[in-house]
Amino acid sequence: MSTAPAPQPERPMSTPTRESQPYWDGMREGKLMLQHCAACGKVRHYPRPVCPHCFSMESEFKAAPLTGTLHTWTVCHHPFNFFFKAQAPYIVALVDMEGGVRINAPLRGVEASQLKIGQPVKLQFEPVTKDVTLPYFAVA
Amino acid sequence: MAHALREKAAVSGIGETAYTRGTQKSGLALQLEASLKAIEDAGLKPADIDGVVPYFPGGGIAEDFIANLGLPDLALSLFVPMGGATCVAAIQSAAMAVATGVAKNVLISVGRTGYSGARVSTRLQQFPQFALAAEFEAPIGMFAPAQLYAQGARRHMELYGTTARHFAEVAVTTRQHAILNGNVVMNKPLTVEEHHASRMISDPFRLFDCSLESDGGAAIIISAADRAKDLKKPLVTIMGVAEGHPESPASIAQRPDLLDFGLTKAAKRGYDMAGVGPKDIDVAEIYDCFTFTVLRQLEILGFCKTGEGGPFVMDGRIGLGGALPINTHGGLLSQGHVVGLNHVIELTRQLRREAGKAQVKDAEVGLVTGYGDMGDGSLAILRRAA
Repeated sequence: MSTAPAPQPERPMSTPTRESQPYWDGMREGKLMLQHCAACGKVRHYPRPVCPHCFSMESEFKAAPLTGTLHTWTVCHHPFNFFFKAQAPYIVALVDMEGGVRINAPLRGVEASQLKIGQPVKLQFEPVTKDVTLPYFAVA
Repeated sequence: MAHALREKAAVSGIGETAYTRGTQKSGLALQLEASLKAIEDAGLKPADIDGVVPYFPGGGIAEDFIANLGLPDLALSLFVPMGGATCVAAIQSAAMAVATGVAKNVLISVGRTGYSGARVSTRLQQFPQFALAAEFEAPIGMFAPAQLYAQGARRHMELYGTTARHFAEVAVTTRQHAILNGNVVMNKPLTVEEHHASRMISDPFRLFDCSLESDGGAAIIISAADRAKDLKKPLVTIMGVAEGHPESPASIAQRPDLLDFGLTKAAKRGYDMAGVGPKDIDVAEIYDCFTFTVLRQLEILGFCKTGEGGPFVMDGRIGLGGALPINTHGGLLSQGHVVGLNHVIELTRQLRREAGKAQVKDAEVGLVTGYGDMGDGSLAILRRAA
């Protein structure tokens, strides 16, 4: 009989692209770096090569505020990926960030029954590998 | 002036396999089995098929159809990668092809081993159109459609007072219809209490709010209306058909209005082409990946106002004998998940008056929708023209 422990389920991990790399670099530094059009100034997320407003291909990433308000949420009970089995049930909040985009991330330290649309929350950062830091929210 | 495509094409043949959980057959075999039945139903021979639209990603490609059905001269091969909106959107492409003479008889087919093969709910990251969800949402624990669509359902509940009781009404009514059909995965009655007691998958979706992972195949044939009238079955024409793509099509999270689907755009064009409106619809087969998705589509389609989908489905309105019977075959929730091609088949049966115990009396005009890939939408409006 083998006594080797069962292998840990692998966490789905982000693979940054040429477009999104600055966003992920920002996460690692505890910043929310959002892509802005260098020509018309409009923010866009998720990162992509062309501004859909003025079609400029020039862009810059700027640090945005970490605050936002709750747009909606779900509570994940069924672990579709076994990595998340130990964490379930967990809340995933979709948040209207002050910087003009939405961020989807776990919301910790609060019961789902307490949640209301418009509630203020604050973005936090959790390093999960050497390269990848993931966002989560706490009640502001 | 009437739209150039209005009633120029018809659903001339329909076929489906048994819907099961567990099969030894491949997705391709299921697709071909259903295709042969559809060809037989139309009174055609395999050699008459000169266009194919297999489901992508699915069990087959054009080469498989040529090799298995001995197609002598395939003139058209298409994929329509729109997830659950694919099958109804494919009708638009097929209708254009037969109306212009590019092809005579176009086969649209799906074969799926969603239960016995790779489970449908875990496939997200294999689809290129889900690359953004894979990069930004899967790592934080959001990757299954049940999770990604749950946030929109929750928002609808918070804004409009929609409740689990409303969701249950869709599940229970759909199950009643499935039992009348017979060729279904779920053949035992479901009560509101059983719905409420079923385990939570991703709040607000419980197990019985979610469509099935099942095995099965389905196929239809689209032919030019003036040719189809000489075929075996009563003529069912395509009055209107359209596909629509929402803003932020690959990310629900970034969509300005989470509750806006591609169907918003498709519905307007589909109704305009058909020259009819919601009040003219006798029966509707609404893509039901989740109970909530049905409520919201009924709003978008103009059967009720935004926010009123919950109350609208109550009091028997969506059941047989109600003002708008929906999913008279049991849908994806209770019959089987063949990406909604079973909805097109059922609507065709209703308009042919072949729907057996689930027949909607005197059904003349019906509507079918597709919904998928984070919110793509499609609809077709069919008419009994026999």
